[in-house]
Amino acid sequence: MDWLFPLFTTGQITSNLNLFIGLFIGIGFGFVLEKAGFGTSKHIATVFYFRNLRVTQTMIAAIVTATTWVVIFSYMGWMDFSKVFIPITYVWPYLVGGIIFGAGMVMSGWCPGTSVVGMVTGKVDAVIFVVGMLVGMLVYFQTYPYFENFANSGNLGRYTIDKLVGGDMFTTSYLVTIILAIGLGVFMHTMKRVVDKKRSLENE
Amino acid sequence: MEKKSYWNPIFSGFLLGTVLFIAYAVAGQGIGASGAFARTTAQLSYLIDPNFATNAYAGKYLRHGNALGNWIVVELIGTMIGGFISALFAGRVKQSTDKGDGYPISKRLFFAFLGGILVAFATRLARGCTSGQALSGAGGFSVGAWIFMLSAFGAGMLFAPLFRKQWKGL
Repeated sequence: MDWLFPLFTTGQITSNLNLFIGLFIGIGFGFVLEKAGFGTSKHIATVFYFRNLRVTQTMIAAIVTATTWVVIFSYMGWMDFSKVFIPITYVWPYLVGGIIFGAGMVMSGWCPGTSVVGMVTGKVDAVIFVVGMLVGMLVYFQTYPYFENFANSGNLGRYTIDKLVGGDMFTTSYLVTIILAIGLGVFMHTMKRVVDKKRSLENE
Repeated sequence: MEKKSYWNPIFSGFLLGTVLFIAYAVAGQGIGASGAFARTTAQLSYLIDPNFATNAYAGKYLRHGNALGNWIVVELIGTMIGGFISALFAGRVKQSTDKGDGYPISKRLFFAFLGGILVAFATRLARGCTSGQALSGAGGFSVGAWIFMLSAFGAGMLFAPLFRKQWKGL
């Protein structure tokens, strides 16, 4: 039997229909981001001080949910996940990119997706962040030749967890994802308790 | 009052993960954001100077005509519409700047701008952001997504003491 999903990359829907549905996927994304509390920089920045776990809890639940859907649909034969694009792994650029990204995030209180929600709901800091991002893109475009080699180093291709540790999507990949997600959740929760305790002692 | 109308994070996460899965299932790619920013800058640069079409990095966006004619741009326009609708019904559309108590607004906006530059630069190295790389990659079991995510959150915690005043009391 032919796989049903993904619809576009298996040629079952036209590019225009894909774009049209994409608009609604975006609307859903924006609606959930705002309802989750991602439309304000304070909920994003305070994560790094362990005062607010809203953002990490949402991310963890989203990753667990998405991987669970992928596993169910693939197992039932409804989806060919090899036809779904996931970014290629470049070890060193991702590590360094992550560090710069983290610094920018705690400095600004925004990331790209949340900033557009902040921008349309009247957050001035989000508007300025968006302008900064457009400028930052130009900086990258104009300086790219100087670090092109680094930007493409450590290329492992489409590198999923099962390629690293063996097994397949339904066993190791899913299990390691759940363990990482729970581990991150427990770490954040523990840190928040420590910080809460310290703050209440300071206030006494 | 305001806090009540936010959803429970686990519920939000369930819906966010489901939206991500729908993107996989329909478009064959995850949800993203930073790519639309890159394309916007590329298109604006091209309108100002047509020679920009040969840019070593951004030339690829202009190869098929308008850099904005792409799924990620349409999706991000949708994100703005969805975010606006939600905030409108929750009574949260109003002009404001989030910052710590007594922190100067000019400094807050300066760091928002500088942070934007850093974040944009980082997304090109990392081929995506918290949405397109971390969330959409991890939802597809990518090792790189976890490298980026743990690196970004770790760095955020590392640099957090430098910006403590900016977020004081929040």
